[in-house]
Amino acid sequence: MKKEKITNGMILAIAVNLVYTKGIGVTQGIIARQVGNDMWIATALSILQGIILVWVTISIIRRIPQYNIIEQTEVMLGSLIAKLVAIVIFLFFVGAYATVLITYVYHIKDYFSPDSSILLPVVVGLIVGIYGTYKGIEVVSRFAIMGLMSILLFNVLIILGSLKDFDIKEILPIFTNGLGKNIEASIHYNTDWAMVTMVAAILYPLVNDQKTWFKSGVTGIVFGGLTVLIWPILETGVLSPEVTGQYIVSCMQLARAAEIGDFIHRYEMIMVALFSISLYVQIMVILYTASLTVAPVFKLKDIRPLIIPIGIILSAFGYWIIFNNVRAMTFLTYYWPPIAMSIAVGLPVLIFILGFFFKEKLQQTKANLPQEEQNI
Amino acid sequence: MHRKVVIFSMILIFISTSLLGCTSKTEIYDLAMVMLVGIDKGEKNPNNIMVTVQIALPANARGSTGSPTGTGMGDPIWTSTGEGKSIFEAIRNIGRYSSRRLFWAHNHAIVISEEYARDIGITDVIDFFTRNNQLRMRTWVVVTPKKAKNLVATKTGLEVIPGQSLNKLFRYNEIIAEAPRTDMRILTAAYMSESSHPVLAKVDIKNRGVSADRPGEFGSTPQVELSGSAVFNRAKMVGWLDSKESRGLLCFIEGFNSAVIALKCPSDRSKPASVELKDSKFKVTPYYKNGKITFTIESTTYAELVELGCSTNYENPRILADLEEQLSAEMKSNIEGVIKKAQKDYKIDFLKLGETFNNRYPSEWKELRDEWKEIFPTIDITIKVDANVISPALLENPTRDVKD
Amino acid sequence: MQDKINDLLQLPIERSLKKNIEIIEQIIENNVDIVKREFVFHGPIDISGVVFYTDGLVNVQLIDSEILKPLMIYSSQIREQDNTQVTHFLAENIKNHLILNTAVKFVTKISDALENILSGDTLVLLDFCDQGFIASTKGWDARSVGEAETETVVRGPRDGFTESIRTNTALVRRRIRDPYLRMEAMKIGEKSKTDVHIAYVKGIVKDGIVNEVRERLQKIKIDLVLESGYIEELIRDAPNSPFSTIQSTERPDKVAAALYEGRVAIFVDNTPFVLLVPTFFWQYIQASDDYYSSFWTGSFFRLIRYIAFLISLTLPSLYVLIVSFHQEMIPTTLALTIAAGRDVSPFPALIEALVMEISFELIREAGLRIPKPIGQTVSIIGSLVIGQAAVQAGFVSPSILIIVAITGISSFAIPNYATSFALRLVRFPLLIASGTLGLMGFGAVFVMITIHVLSLRSFGEPYTAPLFPLKPSDQKDIIIRAPWWKMQKRPQMVDDNPNRSESGIKPEPPKANSGESDTDKKSNDNKNNDNNKNNQSNEKGRKVKQKRTWRK
Repeated sequence: MKKEKITNGMILAIAVNLVYTKGIGVTQGIIARQVGNDMWIATALSILQGIILVWVTISIIRRIPQYNIIEQTEVMLGSLIAKLVAIVIFLFFVGAYATVLITYVYHIKDYFSPDSSILLPVVVGLIVGIYGTYKGIEVVSRFAIMGLMSILLFNVLIILGSLKDFDIKEILPIFTNGLGKNIEASIHYNTDWAMVTMVAAILYPLVNDQKTWFKSGVTGIVFGGLTVLIWPILETGVLSPEVTGQYIVSCMQLARAAEIGDFIHRYEMIMVALFSISLYVQIMVILYTASLTVAPVFKLKDIRPLIIPIGIILSAFGYWIIFNNVRAMTFLTYYWPPIAMSIAVGLPVLIFILGFFFKEKLQQTKANLPQEEQNI
Repeated sequence: MHRKVVIFSMILIFISTSLLGCTSKTEIYDLAMVMLVGIDKGEKNPNNIMVTVQIALPANARGSTGSPTGTGMGDPIWTSTGEGKSIFEAIRNIGRYSSRRLFWAHNHAIVISEEYARDIGITDVIDFFTRNNQLRMRTWVVVTPKKAKNLVATKTGLEVIPGQSLNKLFRYNEIIAEAPRTDMRILTAAYMSESSHPVLAKVDIKNRGVSADRPGEFGSTPQVELSGSAVFNRAKMVGWLDSKESRGLLCFIEGFNSAVIALKCPSDRSKPASVELKDSKFKVTPYYKNGKITFTIESTTYAELVELGCSTNYENPRILADLEEQLSAEMKSNIEGVIKKAQKDYKIDFLKLGETFNNRYPSEWKELRDEWKEIFPTIDITIKVDANVISPALLENPTRDVKD
Repeated sequence: MQDKINDLLQLPIERSLKKNIEIIEQIIENNVDIVKREFVFHGPIDISGVVFYTDGLVNVQLIDSEILKPLMIYSSQIREQDNTQVTHFLAENIKNHLILNTAVKFVTKISDALENILSGDTLVLLDFCDQGFIASTKGWDARSVGEAETETVVRGPRDGFTESIRTNTALVRRRIRDPYLRMEAMKIGEKSKTDVHIAYVKGIVKDGIVNEVRERLQKIKIDLVLESGYIEELIRDAPNSPFSTIQSTERPDKVAAALYEGRVAIFVDNTPFVLLVPTFFWQYIQASDDYYSSFWTGSFFRLIRYIAFLISLTLPSLYVLIVSFHQEMIPTTLALTIAAGRDVSPFPALIEALVMEISFELIREAGLRIPKPIGQTVSIIGSLVIGQAAVQAGFVSPSILIIVAITGISSFAIPNYATSFALRLVRFPLLIASGTLGLMGFGAVFVMITIHVLSLRSFGEPYTAPLFPLKPSDQKDIIIRAPWWKMQKRPQMVDDNPNRSESGIKPEPPKANSGESDTDKKSNDNKNNDNNKNNQSNEKGRKVKQKRTWRK
């Protein structure tokens, strides 16, 4: 298969799309339950942590720009451990897909068709995801640019619709919970960044023009962070932190409370219509990267045969998780953050450190690569 | 490879179409659009809940082809009640009579009767109506001293659908400024807030209307009036505020930009004069010294003279100065009235003073938070009102009778 | 039979005229439109000759005056000059001295000779000569250059392409007097031998694209090419897609503009539709008017067309979606109105929408097919039956009528017929999905359509460029139309020579010093020298300043 190439702008768009949908709703609800009106501070703190995470990941990839994190592990530690790493990352994506499904299904089902079967959105998401993934990452990234535009439009709309009810009193005594508790809460948001770093660790070798990698990575995080940051601020100011914490999908609650005049009195549909684009981007990107991750385990060059089985595995686990709301929220609040953080932070940091021990091996491999490929 | 995808998606599409029966498709003509809902105590059993719904009959409200020209044949609304042990059961019992499925998304207001609010409390109402995804957060929540079901069944206002009349009553009541505009969002936030308590608007049925057929019998048709407010301690209602106190309350919770205040004429106290508030600033500042909490309330108001009922020889500056004095006294009495009610009668902080204190003294608040209920009635509140009547509107000279 | 004629075609032209005539007559048999005219050439010796031409494709007067007349009457000219030499240089001499036609060439094969006859040229055969002359005598009745009917403009040139490829290339050439404009000829169609020209501007177009076009055209093996649609379908990147990745146009000005954006034009004979590649999706929504009227107008109408595009794609689906799933989205007053109208309608919204959409398509199709004299009938029946009567009879609700009408009007606002057709086509799956699955179905199908469009390429270029992937520098001519003095660069796909115009061409009025208008001052200058003196220093400053801005 011809290696597809994507641009820095595209990876930026993917990053924003990955964090946005879950970051504004489900995650904010969890954070609000922990730190109340400091939720925006926790979010902001987590942006800083996200920058560090992405910096580490990009530093790893830059050692051999053509190899992703699994291939680099193979160079350092041999193929067996590389396969192990691949499976661990794949497990991460299984969990990540479940969190995406939580966002996707609870938006669609709870607010639009409460009578319908929960399987339906899962299946529909899978069909669309597989279709998009088959078209390749380049198409998905173009789609991500579209997602980015709709996110911006949506942010503007929600600001217009809810700013008149904004009450600074709800936000004001900042830092009531202290730094420690805020950082603790920011971990929930870090799981969203974890998705970005893991996707970056797999996808960055496909990004051309490696000189601007750092710039695009950090811009992606900051940009994504800022688009999300508007939400906790609005949610606290308009809904009050107590109400935000009450709901599973708190961004929908903000949308329920927003209106422009008497004629756009419901935002939910506009909201879901606009950000379903980025939900589908998430599904496609995770499906693609998960397939790319396990491809070396089965020694496959082309990931396409893997997409359907992997899609079914991811959806099946996701379906099991979301079938029960309580199970989903327990998974999201208590089990997912430690798992995600240990994989998404532990693994890159471990490989980052190991890289110093195996410096020669890496440099040797880099030098042996065909010259023209290096120039890309 | 491509064929596989096609076959696979065919199977998936087949599965999903076989699931279609589960989708929540409802045609618009199968919906009974609820415009107003009333919550009463049960009639069969006082522990029960009685729900009354006002449902729009589109064909009668709009004419049979949907053109807004005619008003159709019969009543534009259909009202029905149901009783049950819970709200949900009561609503389900309405289904016994309703040939269409109840649809809540266009509900304009939730009317709670006083006895329900006092005896049972509104927790259930808040929970039920926010848990349901159909309801919007902009639904007004009001309390009535009468039976809610009577109010829901009353035809009122200029709109075809009474529910819409009530909605517009709220949206355009800025000029009156006598009732808080509390909707579900504000109610939930106030209910869940750690210091403040909810205040809802009061609606009442007054025999004010007159039928065009019988102009002689004034007051024959009942109309809904929006004035005053109901104070809650957490879930339970504790008492009323009259229209003047409600105006004072508005300063604290939402502010008002426009209101008409009736004063007296400078030269002849028996004659009327009115000013219209144009712009007002309201600032509540907490102070904490030596363990003693004080609040200073500064209000700056700008008003315009809109009516002067006496023929006077006074020049404008003098008139305005006199009105300013009256206005500030009036404003002060409004604010004082509501503070007195809050501190002395109900001993409940529904004025958001706790939150204001928290904003300025977050660390002190943490210590005082639990005792706030006891501290609040004892707080000293200083009120400074600065009223300015800045314009005599169009007239440079007052309307004067020069024959004297 | 076929084989026999094929064998005959491969034969060379013989020295014996009789034999040649025999062969040709065997091939054409009793074709009435191929005319044979025998004559005698009074050369050094009397030589018999023959002229073949296709009746109707030639200008008979040309044959008379340029071929037959010189050969028969002025043949003595040759005799005087060259009375000793006979046949050897005869052919060359005749070409050089006798035949007045502007384009004469020799053929040596029967097949070539016949091909030329059939394309409207005249074949002259002489005894003792193993070559035939082909004289260009093409002249048939063709439609004259008329208005481009499918792409009308309010402001802009009115001329449109015709069925004659030569006229078409001339129409473009008249607009571009640039030696870099290249036209390459080829013939496609085993039987039809249709002329196809590739036009491009060297130095502006990427070489890769021209090669790609050439290769794809050469690959075509088909017997007939009757319209550029044949070619279009055979060289597309995504043959299965409903979206057209090749633009066709009737307007020479569009072609001229496209050539200077680095695109390639494919002219096909016998059709007024010229193909332009590569094509980007947004170009379907742009009209020539945009560039000729003020940039404010152009941008505004372009925005309107984008809205029309969205409406024609999504409006019926959104209506069905909202009315049968998400009634909470409708403002209460409107909800009551729609509900009142729907009260009497017996069908679910989806069925209603499908039926109305299909009847609209019926009216459109019938209006297109119906003979012009009775064309009025369709619009009367359409507006009466599908309009008022259907509502009054209680068959459909009034709201769906409005929706279908707006959708129909919007689809006509899209300048390109192929695209508006593609939109109509993808509207139906969207409609069915939103009618059965609600917002989720709408979202899923919409995303799949979008992904499909995003994955398309037109001759290697992403179909949705320059928006996806985003090229910030090319945004001046996509959603809006920037003024010409702002669009100084050509689109990025251009090979080199990216500058369209020099910078600083934004017109500005000369800076006047005083309140009086500029022309006033000029006349004042002559009359009033004193006044001028005071202003002189200022005047100088202005001139210098102005020069600088113009040179920049």
